Amino acid sequence: MTAILPLLVLIPLIAAAVVLVLGAYRRAQVVVSGVALAVVSVLATILLVHVDRSGTVVVDVGAWDAPFGIVLVGDRLAIIMVLISALMLLGVLIFAAGQGIADGDRDTPVSIFHPTYLVLAAGLFDAFVAGDLFNMYVGFEMLLSASYVLLTLAGTGARIRAGVTYIIISLTSSIIFLASIAFIYAATGTVTIALVAERVRDLPADVQLILCISLLVAFCVKAAVFPMSFWLPDSYPTAPAPVTAVFAGLLTKVGVYAIIRTDTVMFTDVNIDVPLMVIALLTLLVGILGALAQADIKRLLSFTLVSHIGYMIFGIAIGSQAALAATIYYIVHHITVQTTLFLATGLVERVGGTTSINRLGGILKAAPFVSVLFFIGAMNLGGIPPFSGFLGKIGLFEAGVNLGTPLSYVLIAVGALTSLLTLYALVRVWNMAFWRSENEVEGYSSPLLDSLAEDPEDRGVTVKTKRVPALMLTATTGMVALTVCLTVFAGPLFDLAARTASDFENHSTYVDAVFPGGVE
Amino acid sequence: MALLLLAFFVVSCATPSLTRWMSTRVFYAISVLPFGAFAYTLTQTPTVTAGETITESIPWIPQLGIVLSFRVDTLAWVLALIVTGIGGLVLIYCARYFSRSEPGLGRFAALLLAFAGTMYGLVTADDIIVMFMFWEITSVLSYLLIGHYIDRKESRGAALQALLVTTFGGLVMLVGVVMISVQAGTTSLASIVDQGLDSPAATVAILLILVGALSKSAIVPFHFWLPAAMAAPTPVSAYLHAAAMVKAGIYLVGRLAPGYADAPGWRETLVVLGVWAMLVGAWRSLRQYDLKLVLAYGTVSQLGFLMVIVGFGGYEAGLAGAALLLAHACYKAALFLVVGIIDHRAGTRDWRKLSGIGRQSTVLAAISLIAVASMAGIPPLFGFVAKEAVFAAFLDAAQSGDGWGWVALIGTAVGSVLTVAYSMRFFWGAFGRRPGMEPTELHSDGWGILVAPATLAIITVVFGLGASLVDPFLAPYAETMPGPGDYHLALWHGFEPALAISAIVVILGVVMFVKRKSVARMQDAVSPMMDSSRGYWATVQFIDRLSARTTIFAQRGGLPQYLGTILVVYVLTLGAASLMNRTWPDSIRPWDYPEQVLIAVAIAIAAVMAGQAKQRMSAVLLVGTTGFGMVALFALHGAPDLALTQALVEMVTLVVFVLVLRRLPTRIAQRNKPVKRLVRATIGIAVGLIMAVVAVVALGARQAESIGKEWPRLAVEEAHGMNIVNVVLVDIRAWDTMGEISVLVVVATGIASLLFVTGRVGAIPRLQGSRQQRRGRNRRRVIVDPLAPGPEASSNRMSWLLAGRTLARGHRSVLLEVLVRLLFHPAILVSVYLLFAGHNAPGGGFAGGLLAGLALVARYLAGGRYELAEAIPVDAGKILGIGLILAVGSAIGSLVFGGAVLESAYFEADVPVLGHLSFGTSTIFDFGVYLVVVGLTLDILRSLGAEIDRQQEDADLSAEAQDDFSESEAAR
Repeated sequence: MTAILPLLVLIPLIAAAVVLVLGAYRRAQVVVSGVALAVVSVLATILLVHVDRSGTVVVDVGAWDAPFGIVLVGDRLAIIMVLISALMLLGVLIFAAGQGIADGDRDTPVSIFHPTYLVLAAGLFDAFVAGDLFNMYVGFEMLLSASYVLLTLAGTGARIRAGVTYIIISLTSSIIFLASIAFIYAATGTVTIALVAERVRDLPADVQLILCISLLVAFCVKAAVFPMSFWLPDSYPTAPAPVTAVFAGLLTKVGVYAIIRTDTVMFTDVNIDVPLMVIALLTLLVGILGALAQADIKRLLSFTLVSHIGYMIFGIAIGSQAALAATIYYIVHHITVQTTLFLATGLVERVGGTTSINRLGGILKAAPFVSVLFFIGAMNLGGIPPFSGFLGKIGLFEAGVNLGTPLSYVLIAVGALTSLLTLYALVRVWNMAFWRSENEVEGYSSPLLDSLAEDPEDRGVTVKTKRVPALMLTATTGMVALTVCLTVFAGPLFDLAARTASDFENHSTYVDAVFPGGVE
Repeated sequence: MALLLLAFFVVSCATPSLTRWMSTRVFYAISVLPFGAFAYTLTQTPTVTAGETITESIPWIPQLGIVLSFRVDTLAWVLALIVTGIGGLVLIYCARYFSRSEPGLGRFAALLLAFAGTMYGLVTADDIIVMFMFWEITSVLSYLLIGHYIDRKESRGAALQALLVTTFGGLVMLVGVVMISVQAGTTSLASIVDQGLDSPAATVAILLILVGALSKSAIVPFHFWLPAAMAAPTPVSAYLHAAAMVKAGIYLVGRLAPGYADAPGWRETLVVLGVWAMLVGAWRSLRQYDLKLVLAYGTVSQLGFLMVIVGFGGYEAGLAGAALLLAHACYKAALFLVVGIIDHRAGTRDWRKLSGIGRQSTVLAAISLIAVASMAGIPPLFGFVAKEAVFAAFLDAAQSGDGWGWVALIGTAVGSVLTVAYSMRFFWGAFGRRPGMEPTELHSDGWGILVAPATLAIITVVFGLGASLVDPFLAPYAETMPGPGDYHLALWHGFEPALAISAIVVILGVVMFVKRKSVARMQDAVSPMMDSSRGYWATVQFIDRLSARTTIFAQRGGLPQYLGTILVVYVLTLGAASLMNRTWPDSIRPWDYPEQVLIAVAIAIAAVMAGQAKQRMSAVLLVGTTGFGMVALFALHGAPDLALTQALVEMVTLVVFVLVLRRLPTRIAQRNKPVKRLVRATIGIAVGLIMAVVAVVALGARQAESIGKEWPRLAVEEAHGMNIVNVVLVDIRAWDTMGEISVLVVVATGIASLLFVTGRVGAIPRLQGSRQQRRGRNRRRVIVDPLAPGPEASSNRMSWLLAGRTLARGHRSVLLEVLVRLLFHPAILVSVYLLFAGHNAPGGGFAGGLLAGLALVARYLAGGRYELAEAIPVDAGKILGIGLILAVGSAIGSLVFGGAVLESAYFEADVPVLGHLSFGTSTIFDFGVYLVVVGLTLDILRSLGAEIDRQQEDADLSAEAQDDFSESEAAR
C-alpha cells in the first residue's frame, strides 16, 4: 500500500513524459493519458478501501524520515479527493478526445493538451497527498502552471485576456502562500504539516492567529471565496469546454481542501468560525446574484460555482463532525455536478452554436437526450431532491441547526435562498434555451431577460453541429450517472464522510499517523 | 410500497419509448400502475379501518437519519386512494384527450405517470425528509407538465412561476423540517406528531412548515400561481391542480394537526388565510369567462375552505376535513375533465362563445350537474354531507366558546354562498343556451372520454347516499385528534342548525346567481385589493435588477480591482491581527552583516524604478537587477551554488525577455491617473510592510529548533554529498524537484502552445541537405540558402557556423561566430562537469542544464534559427519528455527495487579527470533535471526565437508585397 500512494502522482507524471516523447502519434497519446488516469482511479479505489479499513498510509519519500524529508499522507480525505478528481479527469479526457476526433484538435491540440493535462492531474494529486506544506505548494504550482497553459489553448484574444487575469491572480495567491510557508517555518522551524500542527500549539495564540490568517488568505483566493472571488468568472468560462469543466470542478476545491487542512489539522486552536461564517454568507449571496445577471450559461455556472463554495465554508466554520461530513459530501457532489454541467453545456454549445440564452432556442427538440443530461445536472445543482445537492444541504442544515447560534440560522436561511435563486437561474435557462423554439428567438422580449449581461467576450452564434459525437455523449452520460450514484449510494458515502470527518475530531489522528512513535 | 414506487420510476423511464409504437394507447397501458396501486391500497383497508398502520422501512442515509420508511394510516390511505384512483382515471382520459400527432406525447405520459408515483410516495412516506423529497419532486414535475406546450410563452412563464412559488415555500418548509426533526430527534412523521413538541423552536419550525403547505396549496398570498398554471393541458389541471398536488399542503396540515393544532399561531394563521383564500378565490371566480379559470379560482377558494377545516383540530373537524377532502377531489377533478371535453368538442372554453351544449351532450351535462351540485353542497350528494359536517364542527367549537370557531363558521358560510353562485354560473355558462346564438357546433369524440368523469360523478352520488357507510372508514383519522367527539357522517341528521346554515347558504347563493348582473357591476366597482401576481413580478424584477447592479459593481474594475481587493483583504486581516498581537520579540537584530542593507536598498530601489519605468527594456533590466541582488545575497550567505544558479537563471531570463520584446512596442502605455497610481503604490507598500511585520513576529515566536540544522549531517553521512543544496534538491527533497521540473516542462509546452497554437510537434526547419553536407569533404562547401536566393547568398565566404550564411549580411558578425564556434563545445563539457560534480561541489543538474542552455542561446544568437536546428536536431518535446522520464523513472525504479520511493543507492569510483566520484542513483535523477532544463531552453529559443523570426519575416514579406502593390497602383 505504501507503494501505491506515490504512484498516484508518479503515474500521471511518467505518462506526461511518455506523451511528450510520443510526439506525433495522436491516438497513442490519447490512449496513454486515458490508461494513466484509469489506473490512478483504480489504485485510488484500492487505497481508499485499505485506508478506510486499516488507517492512514504514510510514505517517507526517499526513506528520509519526517520531518527531515518529504512525507506523503494518504488519509481518507486525501484519497477521496484523489479518487473523485481522477474520475472527473478521466471523464473529461474522454469528452475532449471525442471533441478532438470530431473537430480536429484545433481547440485542444493533443500534443499540448495531453502532457499539460497530465501534469495538472499529477499536481492535483500531489497537493492532496502532500504531508508537507512546501510540497503542497509545489503541487499547487504544478496544477496552476498547467492550468495557465490549458486556459490559453489556441491563443485567441479572449483567452489571452482571461489568462492574464487568471495568471496574475494565481501568482499573487502563490506568493502569499509561499510567504506564509516562510512565516510558518520561521515560527516553527519545520514545514511538515504534522510537526507544524504540534509546534504551533506552543506558540502564543496571537501568533497562531496571524499565521493562520496568512495561510487562509492564500487559500481563499484559490477557493474563490468572497471578496477574493471576482476573478473567477472572468477567467474560467473562456477556455475550451473540457478545460472549463475541469477547472470548475476541481481547482477551487483544492483551495477548499487546503482550508480544511489548515483549520482542522494545523491550526486547531485558532477560532475564526464567526468570520468564516460571515464570508460564507457573503460568498453565497454575492455569487448567486452574479449568476442571475448572466445571459451566458458558462458564466452563469461560474458564478454558481463561486456561490456554492459558501456552503463548504459554512460547513467548515461549524466544524462539528456532522458538519465536516456534510461538507466533504458536498465537495464531492459539487466537483461532480459542476464538471458534468459544464460538459453538458459544451454539448449544448455544439447543438445551439452559442451559450447565450438570449440566442439559444429549441434545444429540447433538437437534442432531447442532451437536454435530459443538462436538466438532471441543473436540478442537482439547484438542490432539488433526491439529488446529491439536496442531500448535502440537508446535512449542512442539520449541523447548522444543531449549532443553534443566530448566525447559523441566518446562514441556513441564506443557504435556502441561494438554493432557490440557483434554481431560478437554471430554470430560466431551461425556459429560454430548451423550451423556447428556435424561431421565437428573433426579436424576443421578456421581463426575465431584461437585466441580463452578455459575456463580454461573446462571439455570437458559431457553427451549429446537430450531431453530437458519441464519445462526448458517452462521457457526459457517464458523469451524469455518477452524480446519480451519489444519491443512490448516499448512505455508505455519508458513512465514509462521517468516518473521514472523525479523523479531524482529534487532530492527533493525523499527527500520530506521521509520527507513530510520538513527535521527536 | 417501495417496490411499487420503483415500478413507477422504471415504467416512467420506459414510457417515451413505449409511446413511439403504442401512440396514445400507451396511456391505457401505463394506467395499470396507478390502478394497481389503488387496488393494493384497497387491500390495506381492513388494517387501516381497525385503526392500525402498515409500515415498511429501508435504511438509506443513517448519518442524516434518513430512512425510506412508509406508513399507511387512515389519512394516508384516503389520500393514496385519491391520488392513485384519480391518477388512473386521468390517464385513461388522456388516451382520448390527446391526438396521435400531439407533440411531446411520450414526455407527457412519462411525466404524468411519474407524478402519480411521486404523489403516492408523498402521502405514504413516514420519514419527513423523504416526504419533503417527494414534495419537491412534485413541484418539478408540475413545472414540466405546466410547460407542456413548450412553444407557448405564457405556459413557460406560468410553469416557472409555479415552480418558484412552490419551491420558495418548499425551502422555507425545509428549514422547518430540519428544525423539527432535530428537535424531535427523529425524522419519523408519526413520532413527531405524537411528541407534539411545544418548545419555541418547534413552534417556529411548525410555522415554517405551514408556509410550505400554504404555498403548495395555493392559499393567499401564494394563490396566484394556480390560475396561471391553467396553461397546462386539462388532464394536468384536473389531476395536479385539483385532485392531487395542491392537496399535498392540505395533507401535510392534516397530518400535523393531531399534534400541533394547538400550537401558537397555527389555528390563527390557517383560519385567517384559509377564509381569505376562500373568499378571494370565489369572488374572482365569479368574474371569469374562461370555464377553466372559473374552476381554477374555485379551486383556490375550496382549498382555503379545506385549509380551515383540516387545520382546525378536534375530532369533528378531523372527520369533516377528511370527508371534504374526498368530496372535493371527486367533484373538482370531474369538472376539470368536463371542461376538457367541452374544449375538445367545441374548440373553446370561453362560455360567451358557447350555446346549447347541454342539449347536445346530455350525458356530459348530467355528469357536470352532479359534480357542480356536490360542489355547491346540494343533497343528496357527498359534497353536501361533507359541508354539513364542516358547519357542525365549527358550530360546535363556536358554541363551546372558541372565538376562532365563529370566525371560521361565518367566513366559510359566506364563502359557501359565493361557491353556490359560481357553481351555478359555471353550469349555466357551460351548458345553457344563449338567446340569439346558434347552438355551438361540436366534434364528436366518442364515449370513452366520459369514463373518467362519469366514474367520479357516480362516486359522488354513491358516497352521498351511503354517507353513514363511509363514516367508519374515515373515523380512525378523526380519532387521532385530541379530544372526544361523537359526530358521524350521514345524509340526514334531523333538523339541526347546520342544516339551516346549509339551506340559507344555498338560498343566498341562488339569489346571487339570479342577480348576477348587479354582482358583476359590484365586481367592477371593487378593484382587487391585493394582487399577489404583481408582487411576484415585482420581486423577480427586483432580484434581477439587484443582481445586475451588484454584479456590475463587483466585476467592473477588471484585473486591477480584483488584485487590489485581494491585497487590501490581506493587509486588513493581517493588519488587524498584528495590531491585536501582544507577542513581540524582545530584541530585533536588524542585519547579519552590513552588506545586506546595501543590497536590500539596491533591490528596493530597482523594484520601485521597475514599476516606474517607461520603457519595457529598462523595466526588464531593473527587474534583472533585483535578481542579481538576490545572487549577491546568496553568495554572501555562503551559498555559491544558489548564487551560480540564480545568476544563470537571470541571464537566461534576460535573453528570453529580449527575444520577446522584439515584437512588443518599446514604451509601456501609461493610462492611469496619478491618483490611481498613488492608491496602488500605497497598497503595494502596505503589503510589503505587513509582510515584514509578520516575518518579525513569526521569527520572534520561534520555540523549537529548525529541522534545517540537521541537514548538513544528513547530507554527508547518509546522502554521501558535500553539497547540501544539491543533496536537498536531488535526494532529501527530490519529490519537490520532480514537481518543479514538471512545471518547467509545462511552461515550455505553454510557450510552444501560444506561439504555434495548434501543436508542439515538429522540429525547427533544418537546412536543406545539411545531412549530406556534414560529411567529411562536403563540410566546407557552400550551403544553398533556402530563404535568400540570389548571387549574394551563394557567395563562397568562409563560414564558421553551419547556418551562418542563412543570415543576411548585415545581421552577421564574424567575431561572434568565431567566439561561439570556440566556446560552444567547452561550455557543453563544463555543463556536464557541473552535472556530475554537483553532489559535492557547486553545480548540479540545474546549473549544468542552464549553462548548456546558454551555449545554445549563443549558437542561436550568432547563427540564427537554422543554426539552432543544426546544433541540436531533436524535437524539444522529446528532450523534455526523456528528462522527465529519467527523473520520474528513478522514483518508480526505486519502488520496483523494493526501496522507498526516490530512495537513493550509491556507488563510489575514481574516474580519470573528474577525480573521485560518488555516484548515486540520485545522479540519474539529476540528469533528468539537466535534460529538462536544456529542453526548456531549446523550446524557448524555438518558440520565442525561431518562430518569432519566422513570423517577423512573414510580416516583412507581406509588408513588402503590400508596398510593391501600392507602388504599382501608384504607377498606374
